[in-house]
Amino acid sequence: MQIQAFHLTKVHDSGVKVLDDAYFSAPEGSFVAVLGESRTGKSTFLKILGGEEKPTSGVLRIDHKDIYSLSEKERHQWLSDVGMIFPDLKLFPDKTVEENIHFILQAKGASGEGEREAVAKLLSNAGLEGKASSKPSVLSSGEQRMVLALRAMIFRPRLLLADDPFQGLDEKAIAVLFRLFHELNRSGSTVILSTQQMAFLDASRNNSLPISWVKLEQGKLEPLEEIAS
Amino acid sequence: MSTSSRLFYVLKEGFLQLFRSRGLSTAVIVIVASTLLQLSFFLGLSLVLDHALGSAREKFQMAVFLAPAAQPSDRQRIQALLLADPRVASVGLVTKEEALQDFRKDPEIDQMVEALGENPLTDSFTVVLRKDAVEKPDELVAKLRQDPQIEEVDYGKNEWETVSNLTHVARWVGLVIGGFIFLTALFIISNTLSLALWARREDFILMARMGAPTWMRWGPYLWEGLLQGLGGALLVVLLMEALRRGAGEALQKYAGLDMLLALPAGDWGRLYFTLVVLGVFLGFLGAFLALQRKWVREIH
Repeated sequence: MQIQAFHLTKVHDSGVKVLDDAYFSAPEGSFVAVLGESRTGKSTFLKILGGEEKPTSGVLRIDHKDIYSLSEKERHQWLSDVGMIFPDLKLFPDKTVEENIHFILQAKGASGEGEREAVAKLLSNAGLEGKASSKPSVLSSGEQRMVLALRAMIFRPRLLLADDPFQGLDEKAIAVLFRLFHELNRSGSTVILSTQQMAFLDASRNNSLPISWVKLEQGKLEPLEEIAS
Repeated sequence: MSTSSRLFYVLKEGFLQLFRSRGLSTAVIVIVASTLLQLSFFLGLSLVLDHALGSAREKFQMAVFLAPAAQPSDRQRIQALLLADPRVASVGLVTKEEALQDFRKDPEIDQMVEALGENPLTDSFTVVLRKDAVEKPDELVAKLRQDPQIEEVDYGKNEWETVSNLTHVARWVGLVIGGFIFLTALFIISNTLSLALWARREDFILMARMGAPTWMRWGPYLWEGLLQGLGGALLVVLLMEALRRGAGEALQKYAGLDMLLALPAGDWGRLYFTLVVLGVFLGFLGAFLALQRKWVREIH
């Protein structure tokens, strides 16, 4: 999916302006990382892109569509192509890891034959083998975050929005998740993630990973190269 | 996603939810059961009335008294006329001698007849009508009264109408009270199910945020309500069947169950089936009404 935003402004009910006449563009199949300090509005920005928080003003077009004017049916259709890793999009506490992942496949209409094997393989690749039948309450917070990420990616969304997905993960888990993000991106999906950890910026530059870095500061979204220059 | 997969998902999730929220499920089942127990009283009453009315119909007889001047040929003609009528099930002749013999069994009447010195009675026919003709005998009576050789037709019109009207009134009163109980139960059940829904609101919101379509959110919940209603109904059916089979004679008499217990097995089957249908309907409708709450409809 391609994203274009112009004059995007978001003022919270409390009066805090988190986006101020911001511009943003992400071509189809791009990988964009939004860097910013804590409480700068990264989560709000991703929620706006995910159709969860309507901007106060401005223009937002995803695949040339205004996602806030879609009918309920169109919105469901659109959401079937969007994966979200948001801290408040928790796992269902009554369902096992496997059931949580199956649920998303059914919700997105991506359920089918060989699903069980695919889930088992994914869990194994993410170092979660043997956890398929576990309830979220017995998983560590890092494992829970990993399952949340897998749940958002298993149906191969055309747009992945990940809000601070590496927080609380150990280095090994971060490497696994990074690899999964890249695999998804290489298959044509647009990936937008937010982070406040500068270390990833250096890591991606060192590994020549094709990531566009954008910094969110004082309500503006600036490409990082421009900031550097 | 195929329809069968969707159905499987809804059935499975509904079953699982039923056990996950055992406390609220038990509450709903108990409410449904207590409502159906009350309703079963009115349904049972209606069946007993039907049964009693049916028996009364079978016993309904009409007495056709011939004129004193009627000849044997008139008697034969009128008997043939009655037997040819499609509303008549059977005709029995009571000669005036037989009638007198019957009358004289009472000592007082016997003395009166003795004093009179002659038989004042006439020949008559005892006519049993078909079940479907019992409700409206007036037309046949009017036709018979036109015959000059028929003196009187007695068919207990007033008594029959009183029984029939009382039955109708009792049925309507039962229906109104039963309806009121049903609506009250529906209100309580839908509120209890709303509580269950409120307890799961975070899951509902999560599902909607992840793009789960309405059938995935509502389907299991409606199925769960239906199962709870079914559970309540089966509980009542089991209880009533145990009572029917196992209740001691004393209990049957004191609880006034003897009339109910006299009902044929087929009527009991009908009663149980109605209770199960009502229970399922109560549970499903209760869940549906709970889903119509404003806060639920606002979750997209």
